[in-house]
Amino acid sequence: MTRFRLPIGGYIALAIAVAVMVLPLLWMLLASFKGQDEIYSLPIQWLPSSFGGANYQAAADAVPFGSFFLNSLITTVFGAGIKIVLGLMTAYALVFVEVPFRKFFFGLVIFALLVPQQIVIIPNYTLVASLGWLNTYQGIIVPGLASAFGTFLFRQHFLSLPISVLEAAALDGAGHWRRLWAFVVPMSTPTIAAVALVSVVTEWNEYLWPLLVIDRPNMMTLPIGLTLLQNTDGVTNWGVLMAGTVLVTLPILIVFFVMQKKIVAGLTAGAVTG
Amino acid sequence: MNPRSTVFSSTLTRRNLLTLSAALGGTALLAACAGPSVGDAGQAAASTAPAQDWTGIKPASSITWWTNHPGASMATEQAMINGFQAANPGITVNMVTAGANYDEIAQKFQAAAGTDSVPDLVGASDVWWFRYMINQQIIPLDGLASHLNANTADFNTTLYDDYKYADSHWAMPYARSTPLFYYNKTLWSAAGLPDRAPATWDEFDQWAPKLSAVMNGAAPLGIGKGTSWAAWWFCNIMWGKGGAYSSDWSMKLDQPETLEAGNYLRRIINDDKSAAVSATDSTADFGAGLSACTVASTGSLTGILASAKFEVGTGFLPAGPKGAFTPTGGTGMAIASSKSPEQQLAAGMFLKYLTDAEQTATFSAATGYMPVRTSAMDGATMTAIYAKKPQFRTAVDQLKNARSQDWARSFVPSGDKYLTTALEQIMLQNSKAEDVFPKASADISTSYDQNVKPYL
Amino acid sequence: MTSTATRRRGRMARNWLMFAALAGPNILLLIAFTYKPLLQSFYYSTLQWNIGSSRAISVGLRNYTDWLTDSQTPHVVGVTVVFTLATVGGGMVLGLSLAVLLNRRLKLIGPARTIVVAPYVLSGVAVGLLWLFVFDPNFGIVAAVLGFVGLPSPAWYNDPQWALVMVIIVQLWKNVGYIALIYLAGLQAIPKDLLEAASLDGAGPVRTFRRVILPLLGPTTFFLSVTTLLSSLQSFDIIQAMTKGGPLEGTTTMMYEIYREGFVAGRAGYSSAVATILFVVLLIVTLVQMRFVERKVHYA
Repeated sequence: MTRFRLPIGGYIALAIAVAVMVLPLLWMLLASFKGQDEIYSLPIQWLPSSFGGANYQAAADAVPFGSFFLNSLITTVFGAGIKIVLGLMTAYALVFVEVPFRKFFFGLVIFALLVPQQIVIIPNYTLVASLGWLNTYQGIIVPGLASAFGTFLFRQHFLSLPISVLEAAALDGAGHWRRLWAFVVPMSTPTIAAVALVSVVTEWNEYLWPLLVIDRPNMMTLPIGLTLLQNTDGVTNWGVLMAGTVLVTLPILIVFFVMQKKIVAGLTAGAVTG
Repeated sequence: MNPRSTVFSSTLTRRNLLTLSAALGGTALLAACAGPSVGDAGQAAASTAPAQDWTGIKPASSITWWTNHPGASMATEQAMINGFQAANPGITVNMVTAGANYDEIAQKFQAAAGTDSVPDLVGASDVWWFRYMINQQIIPLDGLASHLNANTADFNTTLYDDYKYADSHWAMPYARSTPLFYYNKTLWSAAGLPDRAPATWDEFDQWAPKLSAVMNGAAPLGIGKGTSWAAWWFCNIMWGKGGAYSSDWSMKLDQPETLEAGNYLRRIINDDKSAAVSATDSTADFGAGLSACTVASTGSLTGILASAKFEVGTGFLPAGPKGAFTPTGGTGMAIASSKSPEQQLAAGMFLKYLTDAEQTATFSAATGYMPVRTSAMDGATMTAIYAKKPQFRTAVDQLKNARSQDWARSFVPSGDKYLTTALEQIMLQNSKAEDVFPKASADISTSYDQNVKPYL
Repeated sequence: MTSTATRRRGRMARNWLMFAALAGPNILLLIAFTYKPLLQSFYYSTLQWNIGSSRAISVGLRNYTDWLTDSQTPHVVGVTVVFTLATVGGGMVLGLSLAVLLNRRLKLIGPARTIVVAPYVLSGVAVGLLWLFVFDPNFGIVAAVLGFVGLPSPAWYNDPQWALVMVIIVQLWKNVGYIALIYLAGLQAIPKDLLEAASLDGAGPVRTFRRVILPLLGPTTFFLSVTTLLSSLQSFDIIQAMTKGGPLEGTTTMMYEIYREGFVAGRAGYSSAVATILFVVLLIVTLVQMRFVERKVHYA
């Protein structure tokens, strides 16, 4: 019935939703090109007088954004990668390897989701420091490596897999290890994509833990480095700060937009089976 | 079928697994050793260790320095390190950016206690050094200073005595600031006022309506809120009226003078409307012309000059009936107690270098922090600065009004937070001082009883 | 007989070995970095311990009684409840409405879906910093937009209530797209013939939504309520970047209190006690949630 009428209400609502999401990001981008006087002007000035990169230069001069980026990349790739592998292995064991007390081990994994990071942060700091892992990649990565959320989603998904395929594989002499990587994993790509996105986003944006274990600029990740730009004893230089914020958010936004089809499919697939 | 899967299965042997489990189990065991030792009550912090005899000790060859580069001073600090290493070829200084601000440095230094990542020399801000001291994380510096002939008598007395407790000094002043009174000369002349800061708060009260008249009725004075800030500049009003947060360990928040100061703050914001609390950044608001004057740190001078489109005047903080006083802030440098005497000696040598007359003037010129030595204040370097930035002279001259902070704010954990809460209630919710100071007083006393007293 | 028993035992041993090989590393990591520190934290909560000090005093349950009797505690609990309910409840309602909108066949709906989810992938610190500037009552975009329609900007940074509203808005902005996306998938998974059947039965759109769609979205709602509840109660970055718990503790949630007491005030024991209380609350809420949902939602 409504097929031939233009759904104006729908478009207006859509436009508002998109504007609310985009405007703050646009505001950040514009501010990153403004000088101090353009930012602190009344009435507010929407467009910068020029799109020069002075603030970006200032941000890059103040802190080593190149190494922040590299560190974020390394901790994200290894942190998220290993976490996914651990989650897959654990979920497989919980579903397909028959041992008593599996429910108990599943509970052990799930229960960890309820433990807030802040509650374990002091003991973990002491532990990491005593291992000599401060200012190291393993210091950032290892304490957060265990997979609880991923294991949960993988397990839910594995339970829905056709058992006949795996039984056939077992009859062909494929061991658990082969069954996992050659049969189960290929049948689970959407869920893996979902868990991967959540893990990558979490690792990339992790703040409090790396803030504590890293104190050398050459080992800092992007969110920690960003806060170094906040001047403590002066006028907040929004232009430079926003330039830094753009540098932190842009890479993950690009990854997101490039891979959006896969990510959206994966995110949703993961959740619906959950 | 899948070649990768066979690679995986062959690498994952039983022995690998055993090693992995052993390693992980090992870490779990190791963790059990960490943590504090528990006793009934601590021993006195200051008197446990006998004074170190420094004679015959050789300085270590390498030390680590934790700094947040106050006032964007990374390059300056590196240059000072280079100068020190040239003068002392046997010692290398590793500079570490241990945080973006004093609080982050302190968080890390306290978290690192008991580990081998403790630095030799560490930033110790006015509200943190005492915590380091009762945690037994730093050493008294008097003996070391006299061994190294680091003429401590030349330090500005207030700045050096900010780190004094139990007859010892626990840090040396490094990047130190005070609040200043900044004013907008354009608005000042429009209101027909003399080109200077008000000498007293009474005079401010008289000037405020004139300023307000040329500002469409807006409040002339913009002030800031928040922890580490409101309870700091408020000292000026409070001390000027004869009040105090505390005197040594006894609370003074319920004294009539302190209450009167709190109510004065309430009045100028909520009744007279001659002052307003800024949303996020009072210095930025002033620079944009939203307020005619503000109280801001000396360290903000460069930023204000960069953003302001009008001529900026600076002056002393206004006086009260009992005199003119200003608090001081910023950070000193302290030496870690868990290091060997050789490390501590080398750190002491570097600290002496950092705070000598020449370096303190250089640092001051580069950042806007104050020189910490009397001899440096009138030296050639500083005279050249005053010629370029006359506003800077104000900060140095105002040091004669400097007063060490009340212990309730700077020594008691959460002291600053409790005071800030009370002051924010006064400023933002029009509360009377007698309704909010007693609670702050009780909270601080409890915190003192629980977190400080057992360790003194 | 004995040989089958031995064989069975042998197979069991092999299975155990396999189980250990596959699940062992993850479980050991959980023990080392989650469960063991959790127990340590319980122990710390019985100490007066200034972080950084090598000495501590055993105080029994004093940290707990101090927190329970502190006059500020009801306020912090209130802030936590409001923040959590608003971000979880508000997030689900907004997210579902957005999902219904995004499920319509409109032009450019694909890019719109992507844009709406984008904030979810951004760093909490970056989001906090950028909104700090957006909300600036003088130089920010919100004030400009409100000024355009003749409204004054609320005192986002000076009024405790407005400050709480502000951090709730930012938390919603960051997460609502993710919630919408998950709901969208749930909506698309609903078999078309069910909806057609409902429409043939004469059910209007509202009735169809309430009677058919909402119940079918039950598992999705459960999944989202658990995950957003956990992330809201643990939310830290945005508050740290924007308000640091102020003004007047208007944005101090329990999570933020744990951080501030532990690392700013340095009272590690007290902080651990608050963390333990939050943990127990989290546990109870989740268990209740599961019970409630188990009874209400029947899984397909």
